[in-house]
Amino acid sequence: MASLGYLTLLAAFVACSYAAAVSVAGARRRSPRLIESGIGAFYLVTALMLLASAIIVHAFVTEDFSIRYIDHYSDSAQPLFYKLTSYWGGLDGSIMFWVTLLAIFGAAAVYSNRERQRELIPYVVAVIAVVQMFFLFLMIVHKNPFATYLLEAPVDGRGLNPLLQNFYMAIHPPSLYIGFVGMTIPFAFGMAALITGHLDDSWLRAVRRWTMMSWLFLTLGLTLGMMWAYEELGWGGYWGWDPVENAALLPWFTATAFLHSVMVQERRSMLRVWNMTLVIMTFFLTIFGTFMTRSGIVQSIHAFGQDMALAWMFTIFMVVLLVASFGLVIYRLPLLRARNELESWVSREAAFLVNNWILLFSAVFVLFATMFPTLSEVVTGARLTVGPPFYTTWMLPIGLILLTLTGVGPLLAWRKSTPSNLRYQFTWPVVLAAATMGGLYAAGFRVWVSGLCFGLCAFVCGTIGQEFVRGAVVRREATGTDIVTAIVGLVARSRRRYGGYIVHVGIVLMFLGFAGSGYKRDAQVLLRPGEATEIGRYTVRYDRLSENSDARKQMITAHMTVLVEGEVVDQLYPARWFFFKHETEPTTEVALRRTVAEDLYVVLAGYEMSDQAASFQLTVNPLVNWIWFGFAVLALGTGIALLPESAFAYAGAAAPQGAATASVVLLAAALTLLGPVAVFAQPLEGALQEANEATPLELDLRRSLVCMCDGPGCGKKLVAECMCVEAVRLRGEIRGLVAEGLTRDEVLRFYIDTHGSQEPLAAPLNEGFNRLAWFFPYALGAVALGALVRWTRVGQEPERATSPAEPGSDTAQLEARLDDELRNLD
Amino acid sequence: MMSSGTSTDSAAFRPWHLFVLAALVAATIAMLVARPSDPVGTVLLMLAVGAASLVGLAAYRAILPLTQKEFVETTVMVGSRSRAAVEREKTLVLRSLKELEFDRAMGKVSDGDFEEMGRRLRVLAIRLMKQLDVDAVDYLWSIWRRLDTVERELTSVSRRVAEREL
Repeated sequence: MASLGYLTLLAAFVACSYAAAVSVAGARRRSPRLIESGIGAFYLVTALMLLASAIIVHAFVTEDFSIRYIDHYSDSAQPLFYKLTSYWGGLDGSIMFWVTLLAIFGAAAVYSNRERQRELIPYVVAVIAVVQMFFLFLMIVHKNPFATYLLEAPVDGRGLNPLLQNFYMAIHPPSLYIGFVGMTIPFAFGMAALITGHLDDSWLRAVRRWTMMSWLFLTLGLTLGMMWAYEELGWGGYWGWDPVENAALLPWFTATAFLHSVMVQERRSMLRVWNMTLVIMTFFLTIFGTFMTRSGIVQSIHAFGQDMALAWMFTIFMVVLLVASFGLVIYRLPLLRARNELESWVSREAAFLVNNWILLFSAVFVLFATMFPTLSEVVTGARLTVGPPFYTTWMLPIGLILLTLTGVGPLLAWRKSTPSNLRYQFTWPVVLAAATMGGLYAAGFRVWVSGLCFGLCAFVCGTIGQEFVRGAVVRREATGTDIVTAIVGLVARSRRRYGGYIVHVGIVLMFLGFAGSGYKRDAQVLLRPGEATEIGRYTVRYDRLSENSDARKQMITAHMTVLVEGEVVDQLYPARWFFFKHETEPTTEVALRRTVAEDLYVVLAGYEMSDQAASFQLTVNPLVNWIWFGFAVLALGTGIALLPESAFAYAGAAAPQGAATASVVLLAAALTLLGPVAVFAQPLEGALQEANEATPLELDLRRSLVCMCDGPGCGKKLVAECMCVEAVRLRGEIRGLVAEGLTRDEVLRFYIDTHGSQEPLAAPLNEGFNRLAWFFPYALGAVALGALVRWTRVGQEPERATSPAEPGSDTAQLEARLDDELRNLD
Repeated sequence: MMSSGTSTDSAAFRPWHLFVLAALVAATIAMLVARPSDPVGTVLLMLAVGAASLVGLAAYRAILPLTQKEFVETTVMVGSRSRAAVEREKTLVLRSLKELEFDRAMGKVSDGDFEEMGRRLRVLAIRLMKQLDVDAVDYLWSIWRRLDTVERELTSVSRRVAEREL
């Protein structure tokens, strides 16, 4: 089977080469035969990759350990689900899985556009085939997933990394990969448009849905990654700015920017070069992210390990990619010239432009910060750590600005907004934001960043609510229906716009979750059976420790009781699992009490079986579940925006009058009965109480230093958050140093001297070469601002509107036909 | 689309029938030879055989256009673009015009701006309508051509049926 699998990969490579060559030849010679044959070969690649995938999954299930990849990533005791997901658990298989997904997506894109975009399709096939060829080449010459042992095959495999044996981690890579490979489709259409010179807006329309769908999967992948980090790594948080997390975030920024700027091109014929650049950048960043994860140039707990040969192959591919794509952009610049220019900074297009620049700034900043340790090592020879404090310094204000723009954008008019227009649009959202912030302040919530974020969330919600209400009023007047039917009709008729607003509601909910972290409480405690501790409004009692085992692992479980005001409300079982084949990599099984308002998060950090003493990390995470709920709303909004025209047309035709109103009323009643009880029953006052006995300087130092234990699953977490034995020792050591009277700088210097570098610091000191890290964001911001002003000269002569047509009876007829068609459209 | 994919004789043996048959035979042989004990393994083996038949069908699809004697290109072009693309473009421009009207009704676009942006979209829509009208003659011709091919196929099929009955 292994030989058949390898032969399949070779055949796929040949078919790819054929598809690319024949498609280009067919397009150049205008030969439909060659073009059709190229499309056929492109489908053949998909069939071959499906066959290769079936072979490798079969090998996993039938435990064919003669194949090295199967031996490395599975064992006979592994559950079937993880055997199946082991396919993408390692580097070789993940590349193959990538090509398979790309082949499926590419075939679907070509099939659905082969008639509508006939002139682009040959080049779309060629571009996707070239990308596939690169990844197939990697497998054939360097990372063959079907490589077998030359001598005797092992009796049993080594098993999948225990950290990956988690439901979220099993489905997180496929969703990220779908997001990544999906971005190849817009790139291929963009390149085809550049090559053929068909640079009107039609290629954008062909790729909009693909971009939206890929963006959704990318967001899903990021969210699943957060859920995995939250539940599996056991440090109480969900986002640690790990290089591999960042790799997936980079294309997300540029794809988000593209989804917004595409509207400016459609409406105002502006930003044509910019949109093409964003498509190229997004695709480039998906490849760069893959390179970062797989080459080992960055240190991460998720990375696949160091591989310089692979790094060189990726580097060459990326250079070729950049030179070819931007070369084409430069070649076609005359055709890409904007037909309008920005006329006012107080306009919708200006808001989109600022949003785009900020998203691009975020992408470049995160890329730079992720790569800075590698850059520093190359230049100075010393490796640094760029951890959460550094990112937070920049990304916190950026996030708040983006949230503000989410609310501002829909309120502004295209071209320019007049003062009266601004007053009319902004009054209610601003009042709502001010009332929210005032109310929170009066209620005693004094964490200013979170308070500001809550206020901005209210502002955005006000904007969206106002958009729905005013839109519904206009529609009601036009159609004569009731308000609820008008809202449903509104969403049905302008799915992209109102689906987009629902996406924004999802983003707001996620920001609520992020803002909740301002009220996060945590404590590390050592308890003996029967002892209890308090955190927030909870009393957590430790009852006992138990030890069990099954065929694959030994489980040490703490039994705990949670009380609120003396009443038992829950039983929690935090545990440590030791997989027999990975005993040095114990996994943390977090115990969670989830509510809408907050999570009580308990981790078994250490234990002593002899006297049953155990240490725990307790965390209260307010509003954290709103992040996951926000994603669900975001997915709903994207789904609405993606719905085909026929879906609503059918629903509208089939539903009796008043059905929309009745359905909404019933849904609202159901939500009222099920939903908000828990929200109001669990206020946040308790979160304001201090639960940690450490001094402010100790807490600051714990968040300024990273754990250097290098253990599996640890990955340079902040000392405040890491649960390993080394982190416990470090916290004790920091306490001792502070007790001795050392200042913050002296303690930091102590650790720099101990390790001989600044690697233990969570953010590099602002001195020497490191100044570049601190200077870069300012320089980038200044350059971006300059470019923004230069690029968008305000007040230029707008495009001279061409007369609809020359006078004459034909034109009048066409105008009348156009009006008829417009009337029939709704 | 190729002419081979649009035969009107629903009873005729089609290429994909051959590959389905081949897959069924291959699956049976694989079951007899491999004798898998695990049901999941069996299912995966069958999937692999199914994928192999897809490979055959796709290979046939890639080779067919090069070997067919009469290759008919059915995509209707309007200038350098397909008619379907231009029609879709027109629909989307109309949709944009509708959204613009809605924006004006909501007070988001002033009358002057509506006039300017609307005019641009109307010009584009009318240009596309003209393009579709001009090429409608070609379009009709291609429909006639297609109908002619179908008619010839039907005649040939009915002749074969008649011969078989005799």
